[in-house]
Amino acid sequence: MTGREVLLHALQNDLTPRPAWVPFVGVHGAHLIGEKASNYLKSMELMLKGLTLAAERYRADGIPVMFDLQLEAEVLGCELVWSEENPPSVVSHPLGGGGSLGQLPAFDLGAGRLPLAFDLTRKLKSEIGDKVALYGLICGPFTLAMHLMGQDLFMGMFDHPDYVKAVVSYCSSIGCQMSKAYIEAGVDVVAVVDPMTSQISAEHFSEFVAPYLNLIFATIRDQGTLSSLFVCGDATRNMGEMAKTTCDNMSIDENISLGTLRDISRTTGKSFGGNLKLTSALLFGEPDDARLDAIRCIDVAGGAGFILAPGCDLPFATPPENLEAAAEMVHDPYKREICKRTIIVKDMQDFACDIPDDYRTQPNVIVDVITLDSASCPPCGYMVGAVNKAASALSKPVQVKEHRISSREGLAAMKRLGVQNIPTICIDGEVAFASIIPDQKHLIARIEEFIAKKGQT
Amino acid sequence: MVDFDVLKVAMKSGKVAEVNRIVGELLAQGVLAKDILERGLLDAMNEVGKRFKANEVFVPEVLVAARAMKAGTAILKPHLVEAGVKAVGKAIIGTVKGDLHDIGKNLVIMMLEGAGFEVIDAGVDVAPEKFLELAKSHNAHIVGLSALLTTTMPSMKSAVDVMREGGTTAKIIIGGAPVTQSYCDSIGADGYSPDAAAAAELALSLLPH
Repeated sequence: MTGREVLLHALQNDLTPRPAWVPFVGVHGAHLIGEKASNYLKSMELMLKGLTLAAERYRADGIPVMFDLQLEAEVLGCELVWSEENPPSVVSHPLGGGGSLGQLPAFDLGAGRLPLAFDLTRKLKSEIGDKVALYGLICGPFTLAMHLMGQDLFMGMFDHPDYVKAVVSYCSSIGCQMSKAYIEAGVDVVAVVDPMTSQISAEHFSEFVAPYLNLIFATIRDQGTLSSLFVCGDATRNMGEMAKTTCDNMSIDENISLGTLRDISRTTGKSFGGNLKLTSALLFGEPDDARLDAIRCIDVAGGAGFILAPGCDLPFATPPENLEAAAEMVHDPYKREICKRTIIVKDMQDFACDIPDDYRTQPNVIVDVITLDSASCPPCGYMVGAVNKAASALSKPVQVKEHRISSREGLAAMKRLGVQNIPTICIDGEVAFASIIPDQKHLIARIEEFIAKKGQT
Repeated sequence: MVDFDVLKVAMKSGKVAEVNRIVGELLAQGVLAKDILERGLLDAMNEVGKRFKANEVFVPEVLVAARAMKAGTAILKPHLVEAGVKAVGKAIIGTVKGDLHDIGKNLVIMMLEGAGFEVIDAGVDVAPEKFLELAKSHNAHIVGLSALLTTTMPSMKSAVDVMREGGTTAKIIIGGAPVTQSYCDSIGADGYSPDAAAAAELALSLLPH
């Protein structure tokens, strides 16, 4: 099954052989190729390079074509300010303080940077589209209305509800046009990204947002394509209303409980995803933080219809090794099991373990074998077997100890010995063979070196 | 005993015309402007802040309530000036250099005004030197720095550094989506607030006694 197939199955709420994985690479793609965001988001060549590299390096099942929620607003006359490390910001609101929709420039799919987005989709489709699913991202109707009206949108819900509905409705018609154009260009999924809805109540969501989102989802479904609703920000209170919309999938930010989303999604037959911690784990964390967070998400999600993804657009300078680490957890269930047990080691220093304070004071050479559990992990079993065999072939007595990291004692031993890989052989407290099971000749020779050092010869 | 509940209900639901009418009536009845402000408008805003913090009301509800408060305060202002009533403190609030997102900053301003502060809005994309200049020229008690983006967080540190070197006595408070208490500690700011309502409480707690 290709990554694209895994993702499409997951999106349709099917059970998949592994979790699907979609790193939301936006301006981070620019960072990957050493470019500024302001150049990147204006160049097909650069985005193609960044996204192709990201898809390959992060072993992605799907990638967003262009994570820039200002594309539509730009065409509608909003002024943008560009930044080297962020998507552009909207700084003028043509409908701020009122004004009729008629005064906006006519929405044209050939205007602004829109042709770039659709051309990029076609190019990506032909280059990596057989293996990697493409997400067409469109600006959600409420967020687009916010671009057009500014803060007046919020007060307008109280002062001029009909006017606000007319604006949001217009924005949803643009969402429908964008969706069709993206689908025509070859995307597999259309994601409607509506972060501003995280700022309003559930009542306002159901009155001012849900009906207009549903118009877009219906259009996407009519084209035979899957839809996703992304809400960056804390939208906890709106999850029930979001689940009532007709999207196929919901993707959420890190500050929302994935367990709650899982339960709501399962009752409404939707697939779900997101939730990887953007800042604490991916941006400021280390690979182990990314691994642990990926494991947390995968474990909470459990089973069918789950797409592992960051909570929102990846920050520009997210260390690539953190994303590679998250990808590893998706693709390698064995490593996932090991990481589950080993990474916690960081906090395990205080547990007692059977490791001497000073190996030099011990009468015999000690061979410590750190394993997941030799009974259940085949490579661990082979390694323990190899050490026992070597020990019995030696002329001097050698003490062999297995430390299973399925126990706290084993974890503490692993930490004390500074072991990074499983399984690993340590001789008198030094890492001798990591991951690789040595042949008898090498193993015996190595142990004999330590016996000689100890003066036992 | 004047009942401020009707005024508070009108303000909390953002009804500007009603707030204006009730404030006018109370003044006509001889109720002190200071009482209408503190026991009516500010008290109501304080409740809105608490409900915002508790996730019971959201940005739009806060905005309309703050607008109603502003309208009522405008009517009271000449009476307050006449009676010599002063703000509890002076605060400068702005988003740091590189950050153009102002909704959070605007909410903090409203909450601080609701807590009785005189607030000078420094705007968005404010250079560290500008914060220093404003803090000094206004003799501010509090400077609030806001950042929505992880990438603009380093600008907070520059602003704190420049203000410290410039010798302002104002307490520096920070906030915004990516900001945390540990970041606050690491850059040596005086306080961090996770939301706009808590920012007002924090600012009050940092005022000189």
